[in-house]
Amino acid sequence: MRGPDLRRLYDEHAQALYAFLLNLTCNESDTRDLLQNIFVKLARDPDLLNRARDERAFLIRLAHNAAIDLMRRRGTQDKTRELFGIEHVSPFAPTRDPDQHAFRTALAEALAGLPADQRAVIHLKLWEGLTFEEIATTLGIPPNTAASRYRYGLDKLRERLRPLYEEIK
Amino acid sequence: MKPEDFEHELRRQPLRQVPGEWRKEILTTAESAAVTRRAPPAIRPSWLSTFNSQLSILLWPHPKAWAGLAAIWLLILAADFSMRDQPPGVAEKSAPPSPEVMVELRQQQRMLVELIGSRDEHAAVRSKSYVPQPRSDWRFEILRA
Repeated sequence: MRGPDLRRLYDEHAQALYAFLLNLTCNESDTRDLLQNIFVKLARDPDLLNRARDERAFLIRLAHNAAIDLMRRRGTQDKTRELFGIEHVSPFAPTRDPDQHAFRTALAEALAGLPADQRAVIHLKLWEGLTFEEIATTLGIPPNTAASRYRYGLDKLRERLRPLYEEIK
Repeated sequence: MKPEDFEHELRRQPLRQVPGEWRKEILTTAESAAVTRRAPPAIRPSWLSTFNSQLSILLWPHPKAWAGLAAIWLLILAADFSMRDQPPGVAEKSAPPSPEVMVELRQQQRMLVELIGSRDEHAAVRSKSYVPQPRSDWRFEILRA
């Protein structure tokens, strides 16, 4: 794979990968490292994408695996981070509207409180617009598992955000 | 709160944009990694070529002397093989035994037959003298004693 292909891949997929990774890691520095690792991997193995039927799905799968590996390695560090109250980085765009700001902050915190597998499914369903079949293929899980993870995760978010949601509506 | 409305509200939340300066940094790092990968790897010599070079170093000071030594060994091997090829006729050409030796051999043979025969008779006598009793008889005799 030559330079222009890497650039095209970056321009087409980096935003989606960034948002997905930031939602999983809740940390911008880790997100940057993982995003860079994905592109280094693509540069080192030019045939990697030739085997993929869907570029986006393949790259999201790479990102998901890399994020899960990182979270497993950093398990103890994450506990330390929680102990010292280090803030999670929101995956949502900043806004000047105070109501929207409050809702996005609460949503980011509620998402960060979900298990990573539920968070991944919710992100792909809501912000990537994938079907459960596509999510299942991307993450390598059965479609029923994808659907149940989505429902459980969404129920938790709804319970947690209900007062704020009803207030801004 | 309807579930569909809640999902729709979540879906319309805009995601944070990837920082613009990352593009250049990430692509530069990735492209430099690709260049490193494309550089030809150092050729590792096979064990055969290593052996060959070591042998050359060993033999190099006096190649003629080593060649001469090898030739002498080849001559020795050739001589050994040529001697093995001679037909073994020595045993066949030996003279037949004399009549005295034949008589002595027959005597020894006769003695051997007698000895073997006497041992057989002794064994037969011993086997006749032993008459095994049934176990019940033994017990009966022990009780009576």
